Order: sequence, then structure tokens, then C-alpha cells
Amino acid sequence: MSVEAPAPPRTPGGGRADRPARRSRRPRGSVTGYLLLAPAGIFLLAFFVVPFYSLVATSLFDPSGSDFRGYEMTYAWGNYVDVVRDYWGPLLRAMAYGAAATAACLVLGYVLAYAIAFKAGRWKNLMLVLVIAPFFTSFLIRTLSWKLILADDGFVVNTLQVLQLLGDDGRLLATPFAVIAGLTYNFLPFMVLPLYASLDKLDPRLVEASSDLYANPVAGFFKVTWPLSLPGVVSGTLLTFIPATGDYINAELLGSTNNRVIGNVIQSQFTDANNYPVAAALSVLLSVLIVVMVLVYVRRAGTEELL
Amino acid sequence: MSRLAEQEVAGDALGAPASGEEGPYDGLRIRALTKSFGSYTAVRSLDLDIPRGSFFALLGPSGCGKTTTLRMVAGLEQPTSGTITLAGEDITRTKPYRRPVNTVFQSYALFPHLDVAENVAFGLKRRKVKDVAAQVEAMLALVELETQASKKPAQLSGGQQQRVALARALINRPEVLLLDEPLGALDLKLRRSMQIEVKRIQTEVGLTFVHVTHDQEEAMTMADTVAVMNGGVVEQMGAPSELYENPRSTFVANFLGQSNLIEGTVRRRDADLVTVDMHGVTVSVPAHRVHTDGDRGWVGIRPEKVLIGEVGAELDAPGNTVPGGVITDVSFVGVSTQYLVRMPWGQELQVFAQNTGRQRMFAHGEQVELSWRPEYAFLLDASQDVAAGADRVVG
Amino acid sequence: MPPRPPENSSAGPVAPEPARRSTLSRRGFLTAGGVAAGVGVSVAALDLPFFSVAGAAQDPMACRAADVSASDARMVISNWTGYIDPRNKPGSTLADFTSSTGIEVEYNVDVNDNAEFYAKVKNQLGSCDPIDRDLIVLTDWMAARMIGLGWVQPLERSAVPNLHRNLIPDLQGKAWDPDETFHAPWQSGLTGIAYNAAEVDEVGSFTELLTREDLKGRITLLTEMYDTMGFMLKVVGADPGDFTSTQWEDAMDRLRQVIADGQLRSFAGNNYLQDLSAGNILACEAWSGDVLQAQLENPDIRFVAPEEGLSLWSDNMLVPNQATHQDNAERWIDYYYDPEVAARLAAWVNYICPVQGAQEAMEQVDPSLVDNPLIFPDAELLRTTWDFKALDDREQSQYEREWADVTTG
Repeated sequence: MSVEAPAPPRTPGGGRADRPARRSRRPRGSVTGYLLLAPAGIFLLAFFVVPFYSLVATSLFDPSGSDFRGYEMTYAWGNYVDVVRDYWGPLLRAMAYGAAATAACLVLGYVLAYAIAFKAGRWKNLMLVLVIAPFFTSFLIRTLSWKLILADDGFVVNTLQVLQLLGDDGRLLATPFAVIAGLTYNFLPFMVLPLYASLDKLDPRLVEASSDLYANPVAGFFKVTWPLSLPGVVSGTLLTFIPATGDYINAELLGSTNNRVIGNVIQSQFTDANNYPVAAALSVLLSVLIVVMVLVYVRRAGTEELL
Repeated sequence: MSRLAEQEVAGDALGAPASGEEGPYDGLRIRALTKSFGSYTAVRSLDLDIPRGSFFALLGPSGCGKTTTLRMVAGLEQPTSGTITLAGEDITRTKPYRRPVNTVFQSYALFPHLDVAENVAFGLKRRKVKDVAAQVEAMLALVELETQASKKPAQLSGGQQQRVALARALINRPEVLLLDEPLGALDLKLRRSMQIEVKRIQTEVGLTFVHVTHDQEEAMTMADTVAVMNGGVVEQMGAPSELYENPRSTFVANFLGQSNLIEGTVRRRDADLVTVDMHGVTVSVPAHRVHTDGDRGWVGIRPEKVLIGEVGAELDAPGNTVPGGVITDVSFVGVSTQYLVRMPWGQELQVFAQNTGRQRMFAHGEQVELSWRPEYAFLLDASQDVAAGADRVVG
Repeated sequence: MPPRPPENSSAGPVAPEPARRSTLSRRGFLTAGGVAAGVGVSVAALDLPFFSVAGAAQDPMACRAADVSASDARMVISNWTGYIDPRNKPGSTLADFTSSTGIEVEYNVDVNDNAEFYAKVKNQLGSCDPIDRDLIVLTDWMAARMIGLGWVQPLERSAVPNLHRNLIPDLQGKAWDPDETFHAPWQSGLTGIAYNAAEVDEVGSFTELLTREDLKGRITLLTEMYDTMGFMLKVVGADPGDFTSTQWEDAMDRLRQVIADGQLRSFAGNNYLQDLSAGNILACEAWSGDVLQAQLENPDIRFVAPEEGLSLWSDNMLVPNQATHQDNAERWIDYYYDPEVAARLAAWVNYICPVQGAQEAMEQVDPSLVDNPLIFPDAELLRTTWDFKALDDREQSQYEREWADVTTG
């Protein structure tokens, strides 16, 4: 602590001489700090705390209410028990699809990000633009296009059938594969960009050094490249897993009745059945589950500083 | 540099590579090594023999091909043509991770996610060596970093990082240890002590060190043998004192220390002495220090070998006295005084006079005579660029 | 497909229930008294904002705006896409309406889905706020729900004489609005079966659709509960117009079985005919108008009136509470109940025309459509149609929730 830090002028109750500079400095700094925090704080309050509070409140309403009769707050914690009992299937399915899509994104995205960072040369910027190019069209249109690609009489299915990789009656559309493929496609950029940012910072001389120190390419990748790209891996998997788990458009458009995920349930409970308490309880449950999983994951990955 | 002045010219112990008789050689042998990047040739048909256990320096300005040569030895760069053999085994196309060669990289390239001990253990672990911990401990002791074992590289000072890099490479006991400008990032004082440190360690472990640097002083301090590279070829190779005392090209004369190069015409060639007319002044050069067959040449003399005196004064340099100089610049640097002396033919020569107290200081504009002992002069080929290698950054 | 509002079978305006213990009016911030009472009292006593939501029912008589139609010759409509002849062309029905009445129409195509539209307007209509629309078009069951909630203004009988004179008898007398006080059908349609004749044999009944081995995994059903469950009730031998809760459970179990068997590919709300045309599915539950339009591109698509019968439904024009141009909206309704106008509209949209006399008028508009049973169904076809029983609020909640659970697995 600096002893000679300038005291603020005119502190109440005394001149600057009789106060340690250290103490008199503090109020000014902290007020400025809080002022700087205010916009973010107000934003969070208005767009996170209040809606989430409302969501939690709604989740505790008496589920027998309706728009006609209104909804009464009865602290129906049983709603949570009910939604777990009734919807653990779609909940687990959403997690499984999200995890599968995240894994697929990680493998594909890593290869792509690696190629862009180390092999693309002057095409680097163009390739990065191409990675985000799908965002120039609507999410819905992109997903619908996959219906055409994976159609039963489409090129992909026919090719796989010719190659005997898919039975004559086999199909891709309306299977978990299609849902996961759609999720993978839609969220791949969220994986590639953080991975690229990590890999691009990686000093290629470190890889040379590992090879100089008897690490074959495989060992070099797992001992040097991979650990150094972990921040990108962690943020990429989070940015992919979280929205992929909550997404319902892909399951809606590409899946079958047996591939519905928790997002479909929430959407349908909310808009079709007007069952707000159940929809809210599911939403809260999903948020809490994801936060817990993220915390466990980040802790295990040893990258708490990311949060 | 003057401390080298009185040394005897070293013999051709290591010698120029003797092509033809390619018997088993236990050191590092490079033959006709060439590396081209597109139309640019970085290394041009290079031949080198580096004996086992020696401290060898590749010295040259940036872009001379020395780092490329090193990277080819490490296996990080594929030669366009030529061969590299190590202890009789051809390793030209061997993968870097299969070569008994380790590198201390210019920027150290320490693994930032591993602590010091893990960095040092890296090579041993890849080779599944047993007893890693004890070896790491011993190696850290050698580089005096025992207390830093669990720190991350980012927590260390530059000099400590340098020693980790050295330890990380040395612990593998490679046939050849390559050092790529390993001290370039350190400040002057630290660099001096690290030079001594590295030299000490080399002596202790007795491995072959190949050291790449653009710092001629560093190369001469540390290495047994120095190869001066320029434009992808080795200009001259030998012991530091030999290179300094008897340079064979204007590049070496200028790049290693400083030289006065004066145009001259060969008058007579005797068995052991060549007589040269230098703008009307006749000087002699020992035959083994003459590196041209032509009629004309550059007479070279190091500034500290030039004696300066008043007109008519008796100087201890029989035969090679050049009259008619005028002092144009005087710099007093403590141990010596550096003069610029304009000669009658217009050239300014450098003179470094030791402040022994036996001679007074000369002032700007004074008339002086210069002289030197014939055995210190050398004669270089007239076709060479008189300024080659002179524009390097000293230090 | 009429769910009936509770306690009020005559579909009149429903008075809001008495305010509950904690209502909107008592929302407020934590008060000092609340804090003091907090000790030993349940947290509910704190009466925090958002705690409990009052019923959304309103009284349309108490929730109406002054009509400015006379001074402001405008009106605002919300309708589904592709539900009117090209409206910016001179000679279109809409252009003629404007030129003959002087009323400028702001025509929005912002209804994509009944439930979605409901969610969009629920907060305003539920608290008696305007939604800035003078006319909205919603399917029977949603129209019934909104009428039941008291969100719809009654139409002035004398202002819509064409409606009362020309509405076809089969669409009259709905349980939820027996004398068309609140609604006027815009277009009607039939729900039946469509199949791809290039791929499979005719699918003649719903039972076939749900059991035929060659259709396994290649059929879709509609996401509309009233359509699909009507058929399921028929399949288990019940009457959609009058069934018991046991029969409802039977029908639900049957549907669950169909899903578990893998017969069903998915529930579809739109795009199902693209799937049919592309060969992704072979047959499906379908709306007649969609099929007629799809046939223009793919003649192999066929519509079948299943043995179980057809569901006849309408999309209905409603004047929401707080509409400020009700008179103009009524002139619009009356205009479209003119048989000649109705024929011109039907010739374009290909749905069932709810206006009597339009079939005769169609002779002048497009003679090829006069005998099209999917625009002007004959009495024999209409005899096989059925209607869904009126549901009270609790039944509706329960059934819709069960339905949501089945469709989202």
C-alpha cells in the first residue's frame, strides 16, 4: 500500500494531513467502481434477475390453474417432482443429444480450427468468414435445408444405401442421427471460433520443441497442442452444449415423435397446453442442471479462471 | 579482442572437411547440404565436420543460413539435397523425434502449461526412461534451479528460463546439443555470465554443442571451433584465434572484429614473404597469411596492431612504416584510445592504442606516422567486397 | 372443434371470477408491515409481485372501445398466409372492398398458429388492453376459447345481414356460439387423409393409416389436438361429438400405442405435404385446402375421405375487445358474405366456401370449380363430417396437457 497516495480534497471532518492517505482513498475508488458496474448490474437485474424470479414464481403456481381461472401461488414444490417423473425421458434425451452434438462438434471443429490456424495461410480470413457464413441465413431455413439433404429419397440416403451402409428401408431423417447432425451443423461455429482463437495463439515452436524432445506427432498433440488449447475446448464445449441441450427446432424438424427433447416439452407445455407452472418448472430445472454441470465440468477441466 | 592478439595462430586441427575419404566418423558430418525455399537458396552445398565433444559455433549475420542448417540437423527442416550423418549413421531423413539431437530454442519454447520439472522431464518421459525424478533433480542441480522445480515458466526470469531450456535439452544426453541463439533474449550482463555458465556445463557433460549465433564475441568466447557463414556457405572455419588473426576473406576480417583494409599491388613473392606496394609504401606480409594469387589485393591489419607515433619517431615495427597520417578523430575509451587517421591517399585508418602510459595522447589535426609488425598483416583477394560483413551490429 | 367455457354454455360474455386473495391490484413492493409479518408467517404473506395471476376472463361489454369507424375509414386485420386473393391487384376482392366502401384495410398475415397467436395476445386481451386489430381469424377451438374468455365483441346483427342469410347450414349452430353472435367463418376445410398414389395403394381409413405395415414409420399426424383426437376417438369406436372420459383414455392409449409401434414418423403442423411430395412419408392426416394446392404441383397426391368420416372446421373472423373500427369490420364481414365475392375468394384459396349461393356464382368466376367437392362439398360428403364435443375449462386443460405429453414424448 502506498503511503503517499494523494488524499481526496475536502474529506469531511478533517484536512488531508490528519488522515492516512490509504483510508481516504478508498471511498472514491469504490464509488467509481460501483458506478461502472451499474449499467451491467441494471441490465442483469432487468433481463435476468426479474425474469428468472418470475419464472421461479410461476413454477410454484398451482398446476391445476388455467388462463380462465387464473393461477394461484401455492408453493407447489411438487411441480418439480412431477416434471422429473413425467419428463425425465426428454430431459435425458436432450442432454444426450446435446452431449453427442458437442462431441461431434469438438472433433470436427478441432480439425477445422487446426487447419485454419496452422495450414490455411493466406486463406485464413476467408475460411473464418466461411465458418460464420451460415449465420447469414435464418436458423430455421438452415435446419429445413437439412431435411432436403437427409430426405429418404435424397442423395445422402441413396449413396449410403448403394454403399450398403444403410438398409434399403433405412432412413436418416426422423432419427436421432438427423437431430444430432442438425445440432452439430448449427452449433459448429460456436465450437470452431473459440478453438481457433486458442490454437491461433499457440506457438508452433512449442510443437517443434516437443518433436525435438522425442514426442511423435500423436504424443506431441496430446502433451502440448491439446493441453494448450484447453481454454478453447472448454469455452467451445460450453458454448455448444448449453444451446444444443436447450434447442428444440432440430428435434422438431429433423426428429421423429420419439426424438422429442425437453425444449419441445417446454415449448408445447407453454404455448399449446398453457401449462405455465410445468413449463416454468422444467425451464428452471434445465437451467439449474446446466449450471451445475457447467460448474462440475469447469472445475474438472481446471479452468475456473474462465468463469 | 586484444586479448587474442598475442595468441599463436591455431593449427588446422579440425580442418576443412576432407571430401573423398568418408570413413566412419564419430562426430556430426554434413555433406553437400543444400536447402532452397522456392527460388531462394538458404544453404548452399555445405560441408562440415563437427568432432564429438567439441563446442562448435556457427557464426554469421541473420539470413546467412546458420539457423536453417541447425534446423536441418534437428530434423525440423528437410534438406533439399545432401546428407547429415551422426556417429556414422545417416539421419538426413530421420524424424526429429527419432534423432539423438536436442535443441535449445531461441525463445526457449518452454511448455507454458508444465512446470519446470515437467518441462525438464518431457524428453525422458517420451522415451519411457526409468528414474525420471532423480535425473530431473540432478539436472536441475546442474543448472542451479532446484528451488524452482514446481514453478511455471512464466514465473521465471529470462536467465532462469534459459537454464530450464538448457536442462530440458541436456537431460536427454543427446549426441549433439543444438543451441539456436540461446542467449539472444538476455541483457548484456546476464548474457556474459550465461556464456560462462553454458561453457562450464559443456565442459562438465562433455557433449557435442553446436551453437548458432550472430554475436562474434559470444562465438569466440564459447566455442572451440567457429564456422563463419555468409550467404549460405562457410567462409572460414577454425579456432577463434585463428579466424581472428588470419582471416581469409574480407567478410571474416570485417565480421570478426574490425580491420583496416588497404588496396595494394603485389611486387614480389618470396618463399616466406610477399612484398606489397601500398599507395607507394612498401609493406611485407608473411606468405602463409596471403590469401590471393592475384597481382592486387587488400592489405589487412587489425586496428590494435597498428602503432602510432610522432613523425620521425622510432617505432618497433621494422619495415612496415606508413608516413603522412593526420589525426581526424580521437575517442578516449579508458583502456585504450581510438584514433581515426587520414592517410595521404585519402583513406581513414583505425588505430587502437593501449593506454599503457608509455605514450602521450595525440590531438586532432596532428601529423603522425603509423607502423605495424609484418607478421600481423594479411593479404586478401582484391575481388572481394572491401565492406563485406562490416555493417553488422556489434554486440 | 369447440371447447366450451365453463359455467356458461350459452357462450355469452363471462364475468371474471371474484378477485383472489392476492391479485394484480395487490401487487406491490415489500412493505415494512410485510417484513414485520414475515416472522413465523409463510413467505406467501409477503405478497411479492408475480405471486399468483388472476384469471384472464373479461366482460366484452365492459371492455370495448369507442368506435371511430365513421370518422376514420380504416381497419386492421390479422389473417393466415395465402388466405386471400392477391390483394394489391386492382379487381381483387380487397381492392373492390376499398373502392366501394372507402375503407383502407391494413391486412396483416401474422397468424401462423392458433396457440402462438394466443400467446401473443394473451397478456393484452387478458387485461382488457387493445391489440390494435379490428378483425382476427382463428380456428374453431381457439375462437371458442377466446369467446369463452370474453375477449370477443358481439357482432351487430343488423350490420351483417349477409352472414345470417348466407352461412351454409352445416356451419350453423356451433355449441360455443349457436347464433353466430361472435364469429363469422372465413373459410372452412375438411380434415382427412392424403397419400402419395405413386408410392402406395389408397389409404381408405384412419385405421389403415395407423396399422398398415407398408406405411410403418412413413406417416404423420396433425399437431391439432381436435383434428387428430377426433379421429382417434373414431378409431376406438367413440363419437367425437359425445364421448366419455374412459373413451378419451382409450383413444389416448391407442395413440400412445401407435407411437410406441413406430408407425408414426412425427406430428406435423406444416410442411407435411412437402414430406409427402418428397417421398419422406407415404400418407398423412391432411387438410383439404393444402392437398388441393399441393396437387397443382404433384398430381400423385390424393385426398381421401376416410371411412371414419371427415372433420369439418372453420377459421373464423372475430372482433377482439377494444377494437376501434368494429363498424368497418362488420362491413368487411358482410361484404365477404356476398355470394359473388365469396366465389371469387374461393376460386383463389381453394378451401371450402362457407357462403350459400357462391356455388352458383362460381359459374361466372371459374366453371371448372363449380363441382369441386373440396370447395363446395355435396350433402353426402357433409353428412359424414363430425364435430368435436364442447369441452369445459378443466377438460380442456386436462386434454390439452395429455395431448402435449403424448406429442412431445
